[in-house]
Amino acid sequence: MAGSEGFVEADNTEAIIIRIEQKSRKIESLLRQFKPVEALKMALEGSPPKTKDERCKSANWIVVHRAIMAIKDVDGLFVSLDPEYYDILMKYLYRGLSTGDRPTCDQCLRIHEKLTEKAGLGCILRSLADTVNTV
Amino acid sequence: MCLQNFPCQEVERHNKPEVELKTSPELLLNPVLICRNEAEKCLIETSINSLRISIKVKQADELENILTKKFLRFLSMRAEAFQVLRRKPVQGYDISFLITNYHCEDMQKNKLIDFIVQFMEDIDKEISELKMSVNTRGRLVATEFLKQFI
Repeated sequence: MAGSEGFVEADNTEAIIIRIEQKSRKIESLLRQFKPVEALKMALEGSPPKTKDERCKSANWIVVHRAIMAIKDVDGLFVSLDPEYYDILMKYLYRGLSTGDRPTCDQCLRIHEKLTEKAGLGCILRSLADTVNTV
Repeated sequence: MCLQNFPCQEVERHNKPEVELKTSPELLLNPVLICRNEAEKCLIETSINSLRISIKVKQADELENILTKKFLRFLSMRAEAFQVLRRKPVQGYDISFLITNYHCEDMQKNKLIDFIVQFMEDIDKEISELKMSVNTRGRLVATEFLKQFI
């Protein structure tokens, strides 16, 4: 039982990583067309929440990071981003803040401030309390 | 900051701050690490009955390094007086605070947070003052000493 679940997990992992690679190619093309908001939406969409595999999470983080760094206009971002993505974005922002890399942290702090204004403290608490779906 | 009393699950009649032990993952929340830049960071770990905040202060040069270490060791040794201060900072950080549910029962939560913010601001001010006084004294001593050679 555990063995077969292990196999399913491995297949899923490979499938997820392939999906993330395809996604990153699409996102690169969107960024070249100067559409960072769409790129970020696409990056947040396919976030695999239930995988425990660190590689999937890291692969997805790299993609989301690329999209976050490309954003120049933070207010414009929230006009077009759906509220269901706020929680996932907040979790990725905290992951970005933990990296310690100055430009990443600056950008993450800027977006965090605006996101807290928009989504409120509940968003922060959900990212703290959710131990099941981590990014 | 919602901390409640939670007796130890493993040992009878014991009440331990769960964030220090980390024995039961269901009692812990995700730790949050916030880095302003490479030199400064803040780690916040929470559990059901306690909260640990660890801060790494910016140290621009060797002198500030020594001053910070000595000054914060001085404060940590007197942690009893501060109540929420931890005697030893967490590995990799300069200073740590441990807030338990008992502190929340005795003191107001917003005042606790104000205290921590004020504390860190005062530490920054104190360390810059110390650095300035060390430099001034060094300059004075050097001028007096070298005057005899003119």
